Amino acid sequence: MATVARSIQPDESGTVYHVRAGAEGTVIDVDGFNLFYGKKQALFDITFSVPRGLVCALIGPSGCGKSTLLRCLNRMNDLIDDVTINGDMRIEGHDLYGPGVDVIALRKRMGMVFQKPNPFPMSIFENVVYPLRIDGVRDRNVLEETCERALKGAALWDEAKDRLKESALGLSGGQQQRLCIARAIAADPEVLLMDEPCSALDPIATSKIEELIDELKGRYTIIIVTHNMQQAARVSDNTAFMYLGRLIEFGETEILFTAPKVTKTLDYVTGRFG
Amino acid sequence: MQAPATPKSQTAPIRPKARVTRRSVLIADRVADWTIRIGGLAIILAVFGIMIFLLQVAIPLFLGASVTGHFQRDIANGAGNPRFVAVDEYNTVGILIGDDGRVSAFHLPTGAALTVNNLDFGGGVATAASRTLDWRDMAFGFADGHVRFARLDPTAGVIAGDSLPPGLTRLANGDSTDGKVVYAAAPGGQYRRIGVGVATDAAQPIAEGAAIVAIDYRVGGTIERPSRAFVTVDSKGVVRLSSAETRMNLLTGAARTTITTATLPPLPVGTQVARVLLTANADQAYVADAGGTVYRYDTRNLNAPVLAETVDLLPRDARLSAFGFLIGEQSLMVAGTDGTVAGYFRLQRESASTGDGYRLIRAHDLEPHAAAVTGFGASQRGKMFVTGTADGLWIRHGTSEQTLLKLSHAESAGGRHVLLSPRDDGVFAFGGDGKVDFWRVSIPHPETTLKTIFGQVWYEGYSEPGYTWQSSAGTDSFEAKLSLIPLIFGTIKGTVYALLFAVPVALLAAIYTSEFLNRRARSVVKPAMEMMASLPSVVLGFIAALILAPIVETWIAAVILAVVVVPLSLLVAAHLWQILPIDWALRLDGVPKLLMIFATVALGVYLATLLGPAFEYVFFAGDFRAWVNGSTGRATPFLFILLFPVSFLAAQLAAERLDLPWLRAIADRTRKDGVVAMLRWLVLLTGSAAIAYGIAEILAALGADLRGGVVGTYVQRNTLIVAFAMGFAVIPIIYTIAEDALNSVPEHLRAASLACGGTPWQTATRVILPTAMSGVFAGIMVGMGRAVGETMIVVMAAGNTPILDWNVFNGLRALSANIAVELPESVKDGTLYRTLFLAALTLFVMTFVINTAAEMIRQRFRKRAFQL
Ligand SMILES: Nc1ncnc2c1ncn2[C@@H]1O[C@H](COP(=O)(O)OP(=O)(O)OP(=O)(O)O)[C@@H](O)[C@H]1O
Ligand SMILES: [Mg+2]
Repeated sequence: MATVARSIQPDESGTVYHVRAGAEGTVIDVDGFNLFYGKKQALFDITFSVPRGLVCALIGPSGCGKSTLLRCLNRMNDLIDDVTINGDMRIEGHDLYGPGVDVIALRKRMGMVFQKPNPFPMSIFENVVYPLRIDGVRDRNVLEETCERALKGAALWDEAKDRLKESALGLSGGQQQRLCIARAIAADPEVLLMDEPCSALDPIATSKIEELIDELKGRYTIIIVTHNMQQAARVSDNTAFMYLGRLIEFGETEILFTAPKVTKTLDYVTGRFG
Repeated sequence: MQAPATPKSQTAPIRPKARVTRRSVLIADRVADWTIRIGGLAIILAVFGIMIFLLQVAIPLFLGASVTGHFQRDIANGAGNPRFVAVDEYNTVGILIGDDGRVSAFHLPTGAALTVNNLDFGGGVATAASRTLDWRDMAFGFADGHVRFARLDPTAGVIAGDSLPPGLTRLANGDSTDGKVVYAAAPGGQYRRIGVGVATDAAQPIAEGAAIVAIDYRVGGTIERPSRAFVTVDSKGVVRLSSAETRMNLLTGAARTTITTATLPPLPVGTQVARVLLTANADQAYVADAGGTVYRYDTRNLNAPVLAETVDLLPRDARLSAFGFLIGEQSLMVAGTDGTVAGYFRLQRESASTGDGYRLIRAHDLEPHAAAVTGFGASQRGKMFVTGTADGLWIRHGTSEQTLLKLSHAESAGGRHVLLSPRDDGVFAFGGDGKVDFWRVSIPHPETTLKTIFGQVWYEGYSEPGYTWQSSAGTDSFEAKLSLIPLIFGTIKGTVYALLFAVPVALLAAIYTSEFLNRRARSVVKPAMEMMASLPSVVLGFIAALILAPIVETWIAAVILAVVVVPLSLLVAAHLWQILPIDWALRLDGVPKLLMIFATVALGVYLATLLGPAFEYVFFAGDFRAWVNGSTGRATPFLFILLFPVSFLAAQLAAERLDLPWLRAIADRTRKDGVVAMLRWLVLLTGSAAIAYGIAEILAALGADLRGGVVGTYVQRNTLIVAFAMGFAVIPIIYTIAEDALNSVPEHLRAASLACGGTPWQTATRVILPTAMSGVFAGIMVGMGRAVGETMIVVMAAGNTPILDWNVFNGLRALSANIAVELPESVKDGTLYRTLFLAALTLFVMTFVINTAAEMIRQRFRKRAFQL
């Protein structure tokens, strides 16, 4: 059912596309996006669209700008001094960087899971319901329901249900990462941004999270940064390959890993550099 | 030229792998280990050493008295059963004076008799006698109604060793005598010459034909115009108060004495007068009967003396055995045959149904004797006195109520005569049968007990027991009042008010810089704040005392207003900022924004000064100081000012859940969230103001009034000034530590919260602050420790009034300031000196307790943050 949405020829920016489109159009549209850290440009002319409900993997050598691009999507780059951007970035047609954008509300729509598990030094329960707490939800039933739903969603419920009152810092690394995923989905976001969620985990925990991503697919649009080719191949529908701040190739995962259109991609996925 | 290849350079490429740790590394490790260990131990030892040193200086305060020597002598007594017994200042010569005027003196250490002149009574035998506290002036009453005055002068002088007169007899203890005068060796090869001189005046007729049964005598005035007053009771029960004034003719040298006598209101018929007492300025006369009933005359107006009060001082079946003043004539000591010993004060009482509004009130109950009290002798220097019974002698202190020394099984102690020697270094008892006992005693700190230092003590002139610190005054009879409680209270009060001001400011500033300020602005602010910490506190102190205090005094209404207006203007500015177009806001972010915050504060202060007078007029009836005294205005305004922030915060919390549909409608229509937020805020503000006013009105109606509590009479150097100045000293400390703690919270937690959609404020209060709590708390505690120990600011700005009240407009005296002010002028090893060391120890313990508690709480926070 692979459909090629756009031309497979490089466009002006040099990106080659062969994207598998979802059933429900796109969520995020980026067009000619540039980003500078001070004087140094980190993203060059990025253009791509993320289909709704599919998993999109971002791969590329270290320092190529994957995390930067991901952080732009929920405006976490605002926290860094001296960042300038230009170009267009839209979520469901609304300009992300337009005047009067409610950044707080935006971040609630874009859940984020970081490379390193970062639970709060609170109980497991409080960690999960934190997005609700800051929305001022006080109803105990709502909180408990959400907690259970999110923990089940993150496949942590069975391990954590008896120790909800205990500190989240007592969980193992893999459990903590799933807790962070639970926290992210407790807010019921539309998009889940994951920045190397498995890099600190052992194979078993990794496979649990991969299963989880598979389950979450469809309900959420997921963008995942990974250095693990097999993982990208296993979990994603589309894969974007970035190199030195540029988007080189963006397309269906199968094609990108088996018959990439760009030599550089081939070199990277076959491990000739990276 | 070929460089010889060393073996080392040959093997250099392959570094030999060390299988054992090198010796030098091990030694260095050992040395470091021991250095650190010894260093730590040394610090602990030093701290304990200081503590032990302080303790060792302070402890003698609570040790009682000690006897350093005792001897008993049989003396050849020519005076029969004497009327008076005396001893000179150096405990060298004992003197007995009989009713017939015979004076016998003896060398106290050996009992050798000395020849002295007798008093000239013209052959009469005294029927009553009295003397002043220093034993020098005596008055005798006779059976024929006459009165004679006499003087006793133990003459003392120092002469050089080589001018000793020849032909002296050596006494057993090394002193010499010529039979009249004793030459006692004094330090520096000198001799102290001690003799006894007596003089008798001519008889004055007082009671016509009736024997004088009781007399008391006081001497005052100047040398040129001595004034003498005496009160007599004759055998018919008539009480007379007379004053004798002697005028010396400067040309002829002749003295003329005029006596004016007033008859006091009569005693009940059949009163058996035991003792009569007169005060030094002859304004009160006390007549005590044998059963312990006292008749108090108010003689301030000699033309119309009144019998002001009749009171029973002893239980029914007890008889009066001693009745006399302690030095200062405020404490009236009473002892009875039942062993009671008690001290009475004459105090003004609303309820006193007496002629002059005063009443004798039993202020001190001392440890009772098991046997009847037979003798009483008051100290000439303090509130000590000695009581004697057949069982022994007790040295006591009237104010502290403690029994300092119990001297038992003295054969002479049951006699009438017990005295404390003039320098309080000896006790002298005379049994009447020729036996004299003398104890050398050392009583360094008779007035202090744990109770006088930490408890309530009833001092002379005070209407009730209390905590008082007053270490010095102008008069000899002054008694130092050394309660540490007002000082401890002052320290706590200053600290509490300073922290009330400093903690919110410092914490908000720390949160702001760590969570809201961008890096560039932070790099300006943080060092600036840290530089503030290096401001010497003496500079802060004098700025506070000499510049701030007068300004605050003039602008007090504006200052109070500023407390409300400055935060309000900051909030208004924050809302206006939200309305600002986004690109403007972005352009002004950073240092310009910071400067605008300062400008807003300045504007708030300016507004407060502008509105100050109007505010004073509306809230405080036009005069803040009159209002705060409680003389004008109502209680509501101040209650309102205090309640307003509380109700505003409560309203904000409540409003988080509340949402107003019409406001949302405006928001949707205008799409201007900033404006809507501001409108909503204004609604909250006015609403909470109204609520606060309502509550204040209700509280005021219920009788709540903060005047007399946390506010009250305004003095220029007050706790508010101290709080400001000390706040300045403490804020940078709390700020720096708290900011570091907040800043060291891992960045990924901040990112996690923000990525969940938390606002920076939510992130700060819900994640960052709880995580950094142990550090923030440590900052507050270090600040508190600094405030507790802070000295110069409180010395200069606090007014140094040792009082116990929470009034923020009144001064205080802190432990540290007190030590700094009084230690330089205290006598080494004196009571004040030791008490100040005790104050230092108290301060030490306070900071120790604070730090320990702080550390414990900090550990709890840390545990909770990282383990839960
Ligand atoms: N805060 C920052 N300030 C300045 N430069 C930055 C900042 N963050 C990233 N960069 C730079 O931007 C470039 C892209 O960094 P980014 O973190 O996005 O790489 P990445 O693809 O996520 O790498 P990795 O796979 O190692 O995580 C790098 O050259 C990096 O040095
Ligand atoms: Mg990265």
